Amino acid sequence: MDDTIRNLIFQAIDQTISADDFDVLQDAIERREDVRAEYLRAINLCESLGEIATESGGDLHGNLHGDLHGGPPKRNDSPASVLDDASGWTWQRLAIAAAVLVLVSGVAYWFGRSNDAEVPQWVDVNQDLLNEPEEALIAGHATLRSAVDLRWSNDSLAFREGDVLPNGVLQFDEGIAEIDFFCGATLIVEGPAALDVESDWSVRVVKGRLRASVPPAARGFVVKAADSEIIDLGTEFAVEVGADEARVEVIDGEVELRGGRHDGDHLVTGEREWLKGSQSRPDAFKGLSTLSDLQRRREDAQTRQFEQWEIYSRQLRTDDRLIAYYPIAESAIDRFVPNRAATGRELDGILVGPVTRGQGRFGAVSTGLEFDRPGSRVRTRIDGEFNAFTFACWVRIDSLEHRYNSLFMGDGYENGEPHWQLHEDGRLMFSVMVDDTPGSGLGSAEDSRLHRIYYTEPIWDVSKSGKWLHIAAVYDPVARQVNQFVNGEPISSEPITDQFHVQTLRIGTAEIGNWGQPLRNSPWFAVRNLNGAIDELAIFDAALSREEIQSLYEQGKPLGY
Amino acid sequence: MDPNAKPDFETPAGREARYGEFVSLLARHDQSIRRFVRSLLPSNQGVDDVMQETALECWKKYESFTPENAEDAVDEFIRWACVIARYKVLSWQRDSSRDRLVFRESVIERLAQDAMQDLEQRDRERQAIETCLGELDADQRRLVLSVHSPGESIAKIAEETGVKTRRLYSKVNALRKRLLDCVQGRLVEEL
Repeated sequence: MDDTIRNLIFQAIDQTISADDFDVLQDAIERREDVRAEYLRAINLCESLGEIATESGGDLHGNLHGDLHGGPPKRNDSPASVLDDASGWTWQRLAIAAAVLVLVSGVAYWFGRSNDAEVPQWVDVNQDLLNEPEEALIAGHATLRSAVDLRWSNDSLAFREGDVLPNGVLQFDEGIAEIDFFCGATLIVEGPAALDVESDWSVRVVKGRLRASVPPAARGFVVKAADSEIIDLGTEFAVEVGADEARVEVIDGEVELRGGRHDGDHLVTGEREWLKGSQSRPDAFKGLSTLSDLQRRREDAQTRQFEQWEIYSRQLRTDDRLIAYYPIAESAIDRFVPNRAATGRELDGILVGPVTRGQGRFGAVSTGLEFDRPGSRVRTRIDGEFNAFTFACWVRIDSLEHRYNSLFMGDGYENGEPHWQLHEDGRLMFSVMVDDTPGSGLGSAEDSRLHRIYYTEPIWDVSKSGKWLHIAAVYDPVARQVNQFVNGEPISSEPITDQFHVQTLRIGTAEIGNWGQPLRNSPWFAVRNLNGAIDELAIFDAALSREEIQSLYEQGKPLGY
Repeated sequence: MDPNAKPDFETPAGREARYGEFVSLLARHDQSIRRFVRSLLPSNQGVDDVMQETALECWKKYESFTPENAEDAVDEFIRWACVIARYKVLSWQRDSSRDRLVFRESVIERLAQDAMQDLEQRDRERQAIETCLGELDADQRRLVLSVHSPGESIAKIAEETGVKTRRLYSKVNALRKRLLDCVQGRLVEEL
């Protein structure tokens, strides 16, 4: 019995199965004797486990259950004759008979009782499951809002723009980081620096220079330096901590010092104090970055990065292995996305429906196409036959709203056509149709078709919402391998078995960011639009090597990666 | 008393005797009938309702239950009750077919057919399940039983062990598969 069917059976028993899968299971049960047998065995197993658990698990639910199911009978006008003379019965028989009396009068008591313990328990279990995805938790106290030329120290965890920062030490050797604490305080930190993020409301400066801006909502934010705590009572102050010295200066507003040599002192605008060491360098804060400095530096750096990518991109489009290349990031406001590969304008992508243009991965200078609404799609038509596939794109996933979330999908999903998408649980899925004859598939539905989906482990969860990722899928019929990558790193590699080997690959009509089935004779379409954005997509008639994928990532990555 | 002599429903004494018979049959075979019903309803929902309806119907129709001889009475009773239960499941299905997780009629029919043939098989499986469960180590046993235990839940175990709920569920399923395979193995050995 294959695992898929078994899992469906368990999901059905646990009541966590989706409507679609339930249909698949029903088809299988109806058509296949072995599935019926397996289903019956499985349900007997689960029932028996329930009985065993109840026998060994005590009588916790006896009372509760009495209230739920065995409550007082509503009517008691049962056939009177039955128990008129019960004197000769044992008490046990009497009890059973009494129960049957109740039963006959219309309330299931005795029958229900044998299954007492399970009923509330199943409810619990299902609520656990149903509730689980509803509330996601992320551990952290702050986010790295922007990072300019940041070089993380070798032994430090490295973060990217938009990352949530957990508690613990952050250390970088160069660059500037802007960190928003959840309480509302913002730090602009210049490298080299080391910070220990302690909570939403407090941070210890191990070394480095920083400027703290604290709006009224975050009043009370604490910066620890040397033996002192600097408690913000006003709007802005600067801190510097070196090996032998530490000092604070109030730029605007008021701070209170606690602990150390100035315990209890208040400092107001323009005042400074040494928390440790001597007053050897009076101009230490000169040139400390402000928010607008940071913005400017950041925009400059982003523009530089974007220009570098443009140079790379112009070189890339001469690659004659390209089937199509859509550098959306540089595109204008037209209702189409030009194909920049040598294959020409025929393959331009057409914007359909409410696709919107938003910021691309290089910020305001670049463009990304957003597919948030179900009708959003970019359509294209790519005729011809190919010997291999490499798909690579930059994508920003805001959420995985649907069960399947499209990246690039062949319309009809006919022989040799690709489907590239994300499962709601964060796994990447790449597949090519092997045999689209209805009934050729391994699935149990009568019209199932033969294909195989190559999954990765989950690559996305809500903590990555809004971040740009570079993802790639390689279908290599010669090496008989499917390789998938995230940010240049290989994350999955699976062999193509004979059964699923496809020599001749095709695309035909297809969509970016959604799945259209206009060839199907049905008014319905599956909701698979990507809730997020794509700003570059390249499709090659070749199996790119790991190094080539890595190079696509390196040359195309945005600031802070 | 001659086992083949049928107590008369018309007299109070006869009625009582029949009733005593019915009660003891039901008491002994409730489990089997319940399993049969359960196998036609993937979710636990509705099992109690159907069992109740089935018991009522069985009692109403008990007059017509006339086993050939005493030895077969038990077996026949279960089959007879299962036939009634199948109708009750189908009518329950019609009432709630718009809900999730209710098999369509054709599926219920197919399952009922197979389940009827396997009634004795279920008892043998049950014994094997206990043996196979004994082969798991304590943690595994607790986990796989937890889904069904009063006072226990996957969520609780997840909290205690720090393992994600979803991950635990996949472990539970792996253990269930192992048990199924083990049970199959034992039953084959018996043959």
